[in-house]
Amino acid sequence: MIPLEYVLILSSVLFAIGAAGVILRKNIIIVLMSIELMLNAANINLVAFSSHFEDGTGQAFALFSIGIAAAEVAVALAILLNLNRLRKSVDVDDINLLRW
Amino acid sequence: MDILEYAWLIPVFPLLAFVIVGFLGSKMKDKGGLVAVLGVGTGMVLALWTAYELLTTGRVVESSMEWVVLSTDFKLEMGMYLDNVAAMMLIVVSFIAFLVVVYSLGYMHDQGPRRHRYFTEICLFVGVMLGLILANNFFQMFLFWELVGLCSYLLIGFWYERPAAARAAKKAFLVTRVGDVMFMIGLFILFTELHTLNYELVWSALDTADKSLMAFAAFFLFGGAIGKSAQFPLHDWLPDAMEGPTTVSALIHAATMVNAGVYLVARSFPIIATSAEVSLFVGAIGGVTAFIAATMALCAPKIKGVLAYSTVSQLGYMILGLGAGAFLWHHGHHVEASIAFGAGLFHLMNHAFFKGQLFLGAGAVIHYVHTEELKQMGGLGKYMKVSMITMLISCLSIAGIPPLSGFWSKDEVLAVTFEAGDAGLTFMVLWVLGVLTAFMTAFYMFRMWFMVFGGKPNEGTRHATEHGGHKHEAPFTMLLPLILLAALAFGSGLSLFIGDGFFGSIYFEHAHVMSIGERLTEVFTSPLTYVSIVAAVSGIVLAYFSFYKTKVSAEKVVAKGFPKAMHQLLLDRYKFPVAYDKIGYVGVYGFSLLLDKFDRYVIDGIVNAISAFLVKSGGVVRKLQTGFVQSYTTLLLIGVSLIVILLYVVGALR
Repeated sequence: MIPLEYVLILSSVLFAIGAAGVILRKNIIIVLMSIELMLNAANINLVAFSSHFEDGTGQAFALFSIGIAAAEVAVALAILLNLNRLRKSVDVDDINLLRW
Repeated sequence: MDILEYAWLIPVFPLLAFVIVGFLGSKMKDKGGLVAVLGVGTGMVLALWTAYELLTTGRVVESSMEWVVLSTDFKLEMGMYLDNVAAMMLIVVSFIAFLVVVYSLGYMHDQGPRRHRYFTEICLFVGVMLGLILANNFFQMFLFWELVGLCSYLLIGFWYERPAAARAAKKAFLVTRVGDVMFMIGLFILFTELHTLNYELVWSALDTADKSLMAFAAFFLFGGAIGKSAQFPLHDWLPDAMEGPTTVSALIHAATMVNAGVYLVARSFPIIATSAEVSLFVGAIGGVTAFIAATMALCAPKIKGVLAYSTVSQLGYMILGLGAGAFLWHHGHHVEASIAFGAGLFHLMNHAFFKGQLFLGAGAVIHYVHTEELKQMGGLGKYMKVSMITMLISCLSIAGIPPLSGFWSKDEVLAVTFEAGDAGLTFMVLWVLGVLTAFMTAFYMFRMWFMVFGGKPNEGTRHATEHGGHKHEAPFTMLLPLILLAALAFGSGLSLFIGDGFFGSIYFEHAHVMSIGERLTEVFTSPLTYVSIVAAVSGIVLAYFSFYKTKVSAEKVVAKGFPKAMHQLLLDRYKFPVAYDKIGYVGVYGFSLLLDKFDRYVIDGIVNAISAFLVKSGGVVRKLQTGFVQSYTTLLLIGVSLIVILLYVVGALR
């Protein structure tokens, strides 16, 4: 059995990569993909602890999370599509209407 | 049928007339005058009947119902308390009110549609004044007290388009309000201490009540009387109140409403008597008021001014009598105190009649010459015989010439003050003031009478007789009240000799019955009587020589030096109006300005500072909203990381 620490390290690394992607990349598609990465890091955590404590709730939670993430991505992609149509751009820095 | 059970109908009839005249009067030909006469007249018949029943049987009837019940401890009631004092007040008020309303038919004849408002307000006044008398508890009295104050305000401001009248109405309302607030404080003290405001319950609870609290209650209740009865130092509204129609001055500001203060003192007599200091204070205020008001009357330029000061002065006598009574009671002289109590009320009754007559007479004079300035009158005796003679009777009466009514009551007030002087020296001083006042009263009344009816006609008289077209005296509706009141001004003092005599009927717990012979011997063997008669006669003689024979020229006396300064001071009413204005403008208004500044700069300042801080800081902080999502994310990440590290450091995660 893989020790818990290994899995946690994997999820941390995944989360860090995702966070870096969200902060640093300018392409909005890649930002979205990075967010998915962070979400999956969280899911790995849920599953890992679930098996560690031998409690099924965590796994069920992870399944829900994946399902909701799919729906969320659908919404996000729809927004992105419209945005691209209006602005002719996928750069996050071009989307800055909501400010002082 | 027992009339006493139906006594509550007494104020109902004038109030009914008030409603009818108020709603329908403008459509009537005489603007409601007849309805007013009927309403007030019916009230008078019932009142006289009730009073007769009360005085002949000596019964005391109380009936009441609960009115406002908030808890078992907090109850207000509405009811009637009928005793000898109420009976006397009913006679005075209802009778004079009826005569004044009849007189108004003639006097207000040329006022056109305005008479509607006049008759409405006068009916309301008569109704609530009678209600005040019938009240069986202090709260109900206070309620009607405020209503008569309202009527007084409305009627002083009857000619509201004249700035002086509007000012006078406001002044009367505000100055009496000072007294009303004190009255209210007195009520609060009584209610919290005794849990009742019912007269009889209050009187019977006094023995067990806290003495010092009762002294405060008495002081504040008397404060109400100071305002309403125009006592020093709140007397200055009454001379200004003469801006109203003369009938109003006669009814409200001479014969009835101003007596409400004296009536209040009579009703709170046992409370006042619990404290020697407050009794002394009451007497002192009365004596001082009588004196200074009389000095101001000496040189008042207007006919109604003289009468107004005279009213203040005579009210002072009544208060002096009651104060002396309370003082005597406190010192255990119960029979003498009871006489003093009666003396104050005796003077109230007599004064109401002769002063009402004088005002109505003055009204007839003003109606004739269309001026109030004494200097412009003169020589009117030739044209106004009835007014001249009736006013002469009243002047003699108020001056205190036997056997007219004013003599008996004023003499009695002075006598009881002298008696109270045995218990407290201050009353000796007050007695001296009282005698001096008697002298001045005789002088100023005859100064007025000679200036109006004697001498040669001045421009006002000439104008009226040559161009005015008035060849006749006032109409019959005006002369009848004059004659009836003059008869009472002559004879109301003789009530001393009817039945048990005045002091056998109107008293406080101890009736004092004396036969005619005893009474006469007592009065005419006392040296005090001759002191006051000499004072009165010398006043009249002095007035005769200076204003009729003009042997002594009043103008020369006051031409220079100290007399001139004194004369000016009296014309300025001892600077009281200025002082009121100072208190009003500098004191109250200044304090309000200070509070306004506090509100504007401190309270508003704090509120504004908070909002300004938020607006300013918002201007700075909003720069953080760059619109770049990634910078938000970065900050979020840094923030969450910091929180986690912090929690780790403090050990929450370990």
